[in-house]
Amino acid sequence: MKRLLQLEWLKLRHYRPFWILMGLYALITVVICSSGMRFFEFLKSEGADFRGLDPTIIPIYDFPDIWQNLTYVASFFKIFPAFLVIISVANEFNYRILRQNIIDGLSKKEWILSKLLFIAALSLASTLLVFLIGIVTGSIYAHSDAMGSIFQSTSFLGAYFLDVFVYLVFAFMLILIIRKGAIVIVGLFMYTYMLEPFVTLFISQYPHLPDKYRVIAPFFPVKAIHNLIHVPFSRYVFMEIQDYVSLKEVAIVLVWLGIFIWIIFWLLRRKDL
Amino acid sequence: MTVLETKGLTKQYRKITALNNLNFYIEEGMIFGLLGPNGSGKTTTLGLILNVLKPTSGSYKWFEQAPSAESRKKIGAILEIPCFLPYMTAVQNLEVIATIKECSLSHIDRVLELVGLTDRKDDPFKTFSLGMKQRLAIGAALLADPPVLILDEPTNGLDPQGIVEIRELIKEIAASGKTIVLASHLLDEVQKVCTDFMVLRKGEKLYQGSVKEALSDQVTLEVASPDMTLLTEAFSDFTGLKKVERKNGVLVLTPENGVTTSTISQHLLEREIVLSHLVTKEGSLEKQFLKLLDQE
Repeated sequence: MKRLLQLEWLKLRHYRPFWILMGLYALITVVICSSGMRFFEFLKSEGADFRGLDPTIIPIYDFPDIWQNLTYVASFFKIFPAFLVIISVANEFNYRILRQNIIDGLSKKEWILSKLLFIAALSLASTLLVFLIGIVTGSIYAHSDAMGSIFQSTSFLGAYFLDVFVYLVFAFMLILIIRKGAIVIVGLFMYTYMLEPFVTLFISQYPHLPDKYRVIAPFFPVKAIHNLIHVPFSRYVFMEIQDYVSLKEVAIVLVWLGIFIWIIFWLLRRKDL
Repeated sequence: MTVLETKGLTKQYRKITALNNLNFYIEEGMIFGLLGPNGSGKTTTLGLILNVLKPTSGSYKWFEQAPSAESRKKIGAILEIPCFLPYMTAVQNLEVIATIKECSLSHIDRVLELVGLTDRKDDPFKTFSLGMKQRLAIGAALLADPPVLILDEPTNGLDPQGIVEIRELIKEIAASGKTIVLASHLLDEVQKVCTDFMVLRKGEKLYQGSVKEALSDQVTLEVASPDMTLLTEAFSDFTGLKKVERKNGVLVLTPENGVTTSTISQHLLEREIVLSHLVTKEGSLEKQFLKLLDQE
């Protein structure tokens, strides 16, 4: 296993776009996730208020709520590591590295495992980053009486790991099917941020659709992945939210993960390289 | 030991049969030439036995065992073009291969030395010339010191000097006792380095045999003497010849198997004929090849 992870590391270590993309990803995540208070201060200076409340006293960085807030926001940027997965696999097709690796004595299964391990490592690194942002921003902004509950609700970090991991495996599957990096990058972007949100919104909101069809909306892959962590912010305007990780939703995502991995193995077993 | 054996190997694309029911074997120590015109199925054959193409039917065995990733670790192979990550240096690319083959990184310097790339080892692959890329590919194939080497058109696209260099390298490697499979459409190349060969055409095997045997069919002798009439008469009662032809002032003799130059000169000595010209000509694989292709 160490050998397979090392193999991927050797391939990417000297690849500059890898570091640029990772740097950009980390930068955006850190900046957006830690500037909530600055954002509220900006709103305040613009004269905004929330039903008479000063926005800067909204406790978004208080433990344990911070974990759901941060993981929810950070989850929007997982497309960056997904691009990285797509580029790394597309490179292997372009330069016929996968084929040469097989010739050299790697099995197809080992090649897939090496990519999956790399995806797991990326997801873990991303989770660790969010955890660190949580600890740091929490210690700066959290109100002191909430400090005792730092490690409550950290199940959201687990959900976040699963969220990123399954999404990257989804990207991995797409590039194996389509094999053209540019098409998959554009396609994944459009699908994630436009097509699927539109379709699921249509299914759940369109008034003339019979109710029995509405139940399928949460089963779409990207929606299901995104649903692991529900929108937390409406709680600050006193609306009820789902402030826990639902096992049913985890199960849906795990089924998708199983399907993706099955397709990945099936594709590689069947195809000529 | 039989290094490779195939049984009924067939590869069918939608309409084209790239390879049809191929049976062949390679013994340890052979330098095996895989010959055929472009598109005859050479690369398909190699792709199949290296597990990058899925056979439509048929099977093959490496080292008398079912093929596996483990058996491929004992094979050094390049298929068509050298494949490396362009943004990495020669050494970094070889590190990837050493990790796959689970061999020591200490082999890297040795093979770079062997293929003459030591002074370019820290330059990115994309800066290499075609000849250097080809040499790096051979180096990579040799990395784990495998008993079997498969080279697909190793001199393709190289300049004459590059071709000579690669050929010398192949001969050196062959001298170390490795089994080599060399796919080529250059007959001359196969004739110069191979011990055995197989000819493919349109996905079918036409012939498999040893180079020596194939060539011995075609040894010819050119003889001339001051008195050509006497010389011609001398062969009228000699049974060891398939053919006697007069060409450009010399006689071209095609001897039967087992008839050597000394048999012939003995025969002439008995008749007290002195030769002014005696040349033994080896056959060429090219002639044999064209003959094979014509037979069908």
